[in-house]
Amino acid sequence: MSEQNNPVTQDEIHAYVDGTLSEARRADVEGELERNPELAARASDFFALNNLLHERYDRVLDEPLPARLRIAAPAAEAPAVRTARPAANWPRFAGLAATLVLGVGIGWGMHFGVSGMSASGGATAMAGGGELRAVSADSSMRFAQQAALAHVVYMPTVARPDAMDDSQEQDFVKWLANRLGTDVHAPMLSKSGFELSGGRLLTGDDGGEVAQFMYHNARGERVTLCISHRKTSANTTAFKLYQDGPVNVFYWVDGDFGYALSGGIDRKALLQLAHDVYAQLTPR
Amino acid sequence: MDIRDELIEHVPRLRRYARALINNRELADDLVQDTLERAIARTELFRPGTDLRAWLFTIMHNIFVNQVRKSAARGAHVSVDDESVPETDYAVPATQTSALEVRDLDYALQRLPMEQREVVLLVGLEEMSYADVALALDIPIGTVMSRLSRGRERLRALMAGSVPRANLKVVR
Repeated sequence: MSEQNNPVTQDEIHAYVDGTLSEARRADVEGELERNPELAARASDFFALNNLLHERYDRVLDEPLPARLRIAAPAAEAPAVRTARPAANWPRFAGLAATLVLGVGIGWGMHFGVSGMSASGGATAMAGGGELRAVSADSSMRFAQQAALAHVVYMPTVARPDAMDDSQEQDFVKWLANRLGTDVHAPMLSKSGFELSGGRLLTGDDGGEVAQFMYHNARGERVTLCISHRKTSANTTAFKLYQDGPVNVFYWVDGDFGYALSGGIDRKALLQLAHDVYAQLTPR
Repeated sequence: MDIRDELIEHVPRLRRYARALINNRELADDLVQDTLERAIARTELFRPGTDLRAWLFTIMHNIFVNQVRKSAARGAHVSVDDESVPETDYAVPATQTSALEVRDLDYALQRLPMEQREVVLLVGLEEMSYADVALALDIPIGTVMSRLSRGRERLRALMAGSVPRANLKVVR
């Protein structure tokens, strides 16, 4: 530890909150936050503020553009801004521009943008002819929050350093499948270096059961996958990103099931894992 | 690719930022429209290969600053500096609902000095790097950091009790 000769600065606290702090200083900052509850409370408030800003204003990304803000196609000679563009074009760009969705989507789920991150009751952004039914932003968002919480609350108690052996894993998965009332299985993430290290059943806040699978890799990084059996079915949504402090959660809904993959690892790596999970768990 | 194609992609984000900055839909869209018009009129000034987003935010910033300056001269804009609002006046009990939190956020943002509001939003909402913010606002990075710090502290005080704590323990 180098904090004695290299104290944590205010700027570094902000960089930590904004996810721009260098890897090298992360441990020092986290150590300082653990020692200093007042500082930790401030950092936590700053995190919350960033989340609140997105909750409040991301919905603007999904609003239809008023005519005066539509930009004419390059070929058009007419005055640029005030020329109307077919209204049907806008959602594509809204989706592309959405920071939080990182430009990923599941097929036509692309059109969904970041509506799920809005704080209002039901996100109702519609696109592509209305074939999508909006999933309640509240419930899927809450699920992501729970998943983030479950990630930090339960991970430290997983004492098993090694992956479960095959027969244990099969038993566990069978038991879990019975409880969830479906033939859910834990996806294999070993291609990306993550091994299944445990799992448990949690109770969701709607009283439904949530399966939580824990994975770790050789570097000791951990991710958890939560699968909930939803009481109401919905169509597939795009991946959405929920961030709670250092924990990133990619979550999505597919029919009767909600999925949330949480981890303190690099977003891109986590997204890759989410794609992997999606590919394995979706019946083709 | 024509710059207009790229501009289109930035419109929703410019709108989001403007809405948070001004908190009035019509005025915010006016600002976006002015920004787009100026960008299109000056496309030859944009150097291909550089960051279009930063360029657009610079344009928007300049227009916004001018507007605020003009309306301040007319006395229409009430500017609140750091000292004039006792922060405890705006503390809200912790039991408020999230709808109120959201309204508080609008309110609290509008109580921030403009310079701090811009930085807090570019970093927190637009997720720009500190260096890009410095570039877009044409200020030194040290100024970005001090505005960010003061802005966040102030928002925190304005919203005391109504911001849900993350309360998460760090694990890796």
